[in-house]
Amino acid sequence: MLELTDVSIQYGSFTAVENINIHVGKGELVVLLGSNGAGKSSTFNTISGLQKPSAGTIVFEDRPIQGAGPDKIVRSGIVQCAEDRKLFPQMTVKENLVMGGYVHRRKRKQVNQSLQDVFELFPILQEKKDQPAGSLSGGQQQMLAIGRALMAQPKLLLLDEPSIGLAPLIVEQMFEVIQKINQDGTTVLLAEQNAFAALKIADRGYVFESGSVVVEGTAEELLANDTVRKAYIGA
Amino acid sequence: MDIFIQQVFNGLTIGSVYSLVALGLTLVYGILHIPNFAHGALYMLGAYITLTMMLLWGIHYWIAMAVSVLVVGLLGVLMDRLVFHPLRNAPPIHDKIAAIGILLFLEAFAQLIWGADYRTMETPYGQVVNLFGMTATTQRVLINIGAVVVMILLYLFLKKTYAGSTIIAMAQNREGASLVGINTSRVAMLTFMLSGGLAAVAASLSAPINLVFPGMGHLVILKAFVIIILGGMGSVPGAILGGYILGFTESLGATYISNDYKDIIAFLMLVIILSIKPKGLFSREGF
Repeated sequence: MLELTDVSIQYGSFTAVENINIHVGKGELVVLLGSNGAGKSSTFNTISGLQKPSAGTIVFEDRPIQGAGPDKIVRSGIVQCAEDRKLFPQMTVKENLVMGGYVHRRKRKQVNQSLQDVFELFPILQEKKDQPAGSLSGGQQQMLAIGRALMAQPKLLLLDEPSIGLAPLIVEQMFEVIQKINQDGTTVLLAEQNAFAALKIADRGYVFESGSVVVEGTAEELLANDTVRKAYIGA
Repeated sequence: MDIFIQQVFNGLTIGSVYSLVALGLTLVYGILHIPNFAHGALYMLGAYITLTMMLLWGIHYWIAMAVSVLVVGLLGVLMDRLVFHPLRNAPPIHDKIAAIGILLFLEAFAQLIWGADYRTMETPYGQVVNLFGMTATTQRVLINIGAVVVMILLYLFLKKTYAGSTIIAMAQNREGASLVGINTSRVAMLTFMLSGGLAAVAASLSAPINLVFPGMGHLVILKAFVIIILGGMGSVPGAILGGYILGFTESLGATYISNDYKDIIAFLMLVIILSIKPKGLFSREGF
């Protein structure tokens, strides 16, 4: 479904990501592991079109998308839920969600249906639908960010560190929700530092280290891999 | 008391014009963070285009105004495409220099076409009416009503339509807007269109009670900047409230303090309000 071939990303003379190859199949939940600054977010922003790759190709559903604008990429079905959430802070929860359905704005029925689905997935958002997004707690903002991304009805959802800065109990719920989204038919590419929790729900994974993929394999292989265990799980 | 009511009405009238000009300025600032100095030139062109339509082809005032709104709106879009869009990745100072460049160009252009003379715009609404014990021309009443109508339409557009919400979304989080699939270049063009249109409405409404000349935008744009700074850069309610505050203080100050110091009052207001609320009245909270 998504195929990154020899992709490199540069900021000025600094190379953030070098020659990575990533493949995501339809229906899969694939995780990118790695510490801060390993290149996960750069990879996501490049897939989303916010950043242009300096080399390599990105193919989505048999069409090259590298270098296309972010709005085109959202319309093609790839939606990112960013690490810093990028919500519209002074808009209400509901307005944020409705903006999430922007690409489907001419199908009012569909937008309303998605809204109901999101409220079902995150009942707290329905409760707070008229509050400004900026007034929500961190966990609720993360739910809103995921909800807003789902409003676009993505074929492929990019989730950048959804567990960052959240209380352990909320993190657990978050992973359950991500698993549910995947089981309902959305392909998910997830970036995480919380390797153990992520690998428990993932099909496959890639381990990033300073801009390169150093290990890849199925979730079981990675959980059993010594380097991964030592570096990311601490066992 | 009669004088007081008369001056409040005058303040409302001046404030309406200031608010309309400041709205266009604040929209562009909110989206692109460009202090568009050329906005005053758009205001001036708005007046000239309406005037020319009326004089040359005898077109009715309202139709001339509609044409002017369209032409100046498109000019705004052209400004974005030709100048600001290519500069989007340049350091912010380049935008400022470019904006001043456009201002000078457009003024020279107006002088070339229409000459440097002061012109008056005739209005079909010159009659005098009596309202609550004060006298005013219908044109002045129209300025007030027109401004409020335009503001309500703008509010409905921004709040109730998807196209309008994209402007608010982009002002609040540019990358967030990209990530929900909004084409930010198109939003920038839409914003410049609105901004130019608002300037043309303001100029066409107020031209019959003022004079039309190439430098007519100078003081207005300077005050519009004062308004958006004291209202909170990029804030829509701030621009409206700030415009009226300035209109009232100017009109009352001219009557009760001194007419000669009318224009300095705007800047005194700025100093006072910013010392109390350094981020402005609304500081982007209520966009």
